[in-house]
Amino acid sequence: MASEDSFDPIRLWREWFVKSEKSLSDALSEMMGNEHFSKGMGRYTLEALHTHRMFSETMGQHLANLNIPSRSDILDTNDRLAHMEETLNRIQVELREQRSQIARITVLAGSAKPGDNAARPARTRKPANNLDT
Amino acid sequence: MTASARAEITNEDLEASIRRTLDRTIARNIPGLAPLPQTQTDLDVGPSAKELVYSNETALLYHYLPTQSEIYRVPVLIVMSPVAKGYILDLAKGQSLIEYLVMQGHDVYMLEWIGPRRDQSHLSLDNYVIDMLGGCIDAVLQDTGENELTLVGYCMGGMLSCMYSALNVKGPVKNLACFTTPINADGMELYKRWMTAKSFDIDRLVKELGNIPGDFVNTSLQALRPLQRSANQMKLLNNVENDAFVKAHLRFDRWAVDQLPVPGELARTLVKDFMIDNKFVNNALTLRGERVDLGRIKVPFLHVAAQHDHIVPAAASKDLLPNIGSQDKHEIVMKGGHVSLVAGGNAIFRLWPQLDTWLSVRDV
Repeated sequence: MASEDSFDPIRLWREWFVKSEKSLSDALSEMMGNEHFSKGMGRYTLEALHTHRMFSETMGQHLANLNIPSRSDILDTNDRLAHMEETLNRIQVELREQRSQIARITVLAGSAKPGDNAARPARTRKPANNLDT
Repeated sequence: MTASARAEITNEDLEASIRRTLDRTIARNIPGLAPLPQTQTDLDVGPSAKELVYSNETALLYHYLPTQSEIYRVPVLIVMSPVAKGYILDLAKGQSLIEYLVMQGHDVYMLEWIGPRRDQSHLSLDNYVIDMLGGCIDAVLQDTGENELTLVGYCMGGMLSCMYSALNVKGPVKNLACFTTPINADGMELYKRWMTAKSFDIDRLVKELGNIPGDFVNTSLQALRPLQRSANQMKLLNNVENDAFVKAHLRFDRWAVDQLPVPGELARTLVKDFMIDNKFVNNALTLRGERVDLGRIKVPFLHVAAQHDHIVPAAASKDLLPNIGSQDKHEIVMKGGHVSLVAGGNAIFRLWPQLDTWLSVRDV
């Protein structure tokens, strides 16, 4: 690897690109902001949607024939996984609630020791006096 | 031992030997490459200890476990943007706003969003503000036993927090802080031009796709500075021998392309009501029939904007402060961009201490 002080034209080009990126990006953004580009992008999005739908319908059948899952099958699996995650989240929340209740009972019974999860920190903290707000 | 078994062991040994030699060569000769994680998902993000407190549709509410023996009375609820993952605020040890606030004695909760399922494409702005954010606020109050809290919203999370606060002026929001929060769509020129073009049809997009994919969101964000990602890759190459730089870069880069899909109905409202009709800044937005009037917000308010923010430029956020009805309201404009403001190397010296100072005198 080239050391810092050796002549490396690729590195110099990269450095120039990094320094010029903002102005190059601004110029591109300005081009993208004109009316023709905006119209074209809207049209392209709609055409892409149309192509996507046609392709999905056609490919879906081919993939089914080849016994390969389609995007729609993967999204089905994703949805099922998301449902399972949701159920796990509910169980996690429920378990935490149960733990908190046990902790409250422990505190009330006076058997909580310092460092136990049962003993929540006191909500009595005050700011330092020299704060400028 | 059979001949085939011997051959298998020999092959495995050979493979392991090649791997060891390669690893050693890389580690010795190209120091910057040695610690590279094999994949982006190998990167450890979100290291602060947390517990899930509540979940509702696409909303997950986490509580970060306090590390101090004494904490401020008023809990802080951080509201993330519905298109961004929350780990940007808890990237790594020493590079985490969450870790910093917890260390300063704040009781921190975070509302993070997850991508919607296909059957959740109906979730609207009303659901996000009233049901999900409202549900999380109730859960924080119940969990802490307090009757008020501080909301801290990041980007669109700030919009949701403002909307909730404007609709619930009698409480329980005690303080409201927003980072880089867009309010005036006229200030987001490029998006405005694209979305007001006659050829752009959000209804058709939602009808075809259901939810707007994360890639779509990512592409539209990157279009705002088309060459920035390439420039970042070049910076990575120029600093490949700097382990800390490489890891930080990979973490940022992972987050930058890890956008969440948006429910179709929410996207429709954001495009029509926010971008095209610009209702938010004109106090004309309605949620479940009630008008969102930012002038009704009277609680202490802080807005932090970034000087070089290309996603939410100053023109899009500068009307926030004048529109808020509070007497105690401040705006801080800091160096940095949309993300480096909250998570960059300099955030620890710039934003974090100022936020801690602002919160600590108001969270008692």
